[in-house]
Amino acid sequence: MLEIRVHGRGGAGVKSCAEIFGKAAFLSGFKTQDFSLYGAERRGAPLVSFVRIDKEPILERGYVTRPDIIIVLDDSLDFKHMLNGSTEHTLVLINTSRRDKLKLKNSKNFICVDATSIALETIGKPIPNTVMLGLLVKRLKDKITLENLEKAIEEKLEKYPEKVIQANKQAAKIGYGRFI
Amino acid sequence: MFNILGLQEGEEMKKLMDGNEAGAWAARLADVKVFPNFPVTPQTELIETLAQWKADGLFKGDFLDVESEHSVMSAAVASEATGVRTFTATSSQGLLLMHEILYIASGMRLPVVMINVSRGLSAPITLWSDHNDILDQRDSGWMIFFTENNQEVIDLTLQAFKISENHKVLLPCIVNLDGFILSYTKEPVEAPNQKQVDKFLPKYKPLTYLDPKKPMNLGVPVMEGYMEFRLQQQAAMENAREVIKKTFKEWEKKFGRKYDVIERFMMDDAVIALVSVGAMTSTAKAAVVEARKKGIKAGLVKIIVYRPFPFKELEDALNDVVGIGVCDQNLAPGYGGILYHDIRSLMYGYKRVINDYILGLGGQQAPKEKYVEIIEDLLECTGKGESGKVKYIVD
Repeated sequence: MLEIRVHGRGGAGVKSCAEIFGKAAFLSGFKTQDFSLYGAERRGAPLVSFVRIDKEPILERGYVTRPDIIIVLDDSLDFKHMLNGSTEHTLVLINTSRRDKLKLKNSKNFICVDATSIALETIGKPIPNTVMLGLLVKRLKDKITLENLEKAIEEKLEKYPEKVIQANKQAAKIGYGRFI
Repeated sequence: MFNILGLQEGEEMKKLMDGNEAGAWAARLADVKVFPNFPVTPQTELIETLAQWKADGLFKGDFLDVESEHSVMSAAVASEATGVRTFTATSSQGLLLMHEILYIASGMRLPVVMINVSRGLSAPITLWSDHNDILDQRDSGWMIFFTENNQEVIDLTLQAFKISENHKVLLPCIVNLDGFILSYTKEPVEAPNQKQVDKFLPKYKPLTYLDPKKPMNLGVPVMEGYMEFRLQQQAAMENAREVIKKTFKEWEKKFGRKYDVIERFMMDDAVIALVSVGAMTSTAKAAVVEARKKGIKAGLVKIIVYRPFPFKELEDALNDVVGIGVCDQNLAPGYGGILYHDIRSLMYGYKRVINDYILGLGGQQAPKEKYVEIIEDLLECTGKGESGKVKYIVD
């Protein structure tokens, strides 16, 4: 089983990030489970989402305490909290433009990308989730394809104008190309 | 959320659905005629989904937005009394505000079906799940079904209509799903197609109904006859046992998914067992699998139908084990876990170690590791013969 945790603030696409990845995994033949935890507040408030994917039926529910992958959409949140439960094997994808200032220890598995800037260029809004998903899918290339990620983006955003869908797909592609 | 609008009539689908969406699908497929409602987190998206479908012409029932949950249930009673299929959904404080009218629905023998999205009660305020809201209604004369996943939400809600509307039963039914942990969790769900559902659940035929041409009164003062009416409710609950089993069998035959009033998980050679309800059962099952790897012969019994209470089935299942650990995601202050006392009373006369594990109040997270600890603790207590322990599992 692969367990993923997404941290960010309400309005930055945290929930959608988990949902789109869940869809992409589902389309790639996985059993999936994605959900979000939040309080009564909405935009700007800390929010955490989870995805579990497996070839076998998934039994566990609730908070992901031992994440295989952590996606940080907002670098202004508390890193101690966001990295909770991570080990040296946990892959951490961070959206940041100030890597040096973050003072991250154990940074071998930390991959930093300025996804907000890419999102502003492509989508025109500071919503970095599809960029980060492109990055993640590149890492999981044998399991979940970029095509299925694009299909998931189309499905999730189907109520939006074609322009928005294309921009998000473009953002995902750029993220996909950024993986080092 | 609404990307399923493209579904053609008669088409089957397997797609990602959260608990609210699964509940909305059940109402749509059941061709509900009246849907009185009031939004409350974490049930709101169920209402939003049906509202969107109503706007798009896909949900044919009357969408009745009233001013409170007390009015929701009053409207549900009135509409069901005129002989039309009625459905609603609520959560937590909303369910408590309905409390008074719940007894009226069951007393008038009106087969309303309702989904409750469990959420801990105020104060203090939480939005996350525990079972105090639903267990507060356990004596209201409603049948109560617990669901573990979103597939069970859609399947059990559709079956609830058929069971409730059976003329031997005529009792309302609450299908319970956990807030967030099911209501906001998307997972693969198979929705049956409309034609199949129409065959399984034909148009509702009321035994009697309010009709201006044949004036009649419902719920009148009876004074001396009161007890007879109450005993009829009890008899109807007893009848429901057989109707539930029959309906579950028919569902299995038509849709291939098997249901029973309880579920036995790895119970064949189990020495100790957990008893659980609702979504947390999934994590408890994962812990049972983990414990088995460590050589502990653990099992789990899940209660699906809580009212009518499955005395015989539970007794049969738990008779086989030496130690029983009841997982209570609820707390009756000054009393303890509610399910624990149910099980203690059920197993009276058997020499069993029965302990209570109170956890997950207000959605506090109980990961697999916690359940493994519970199983290990239960095994130790069983070895020492320590029974009657109440343990609070806190972070």
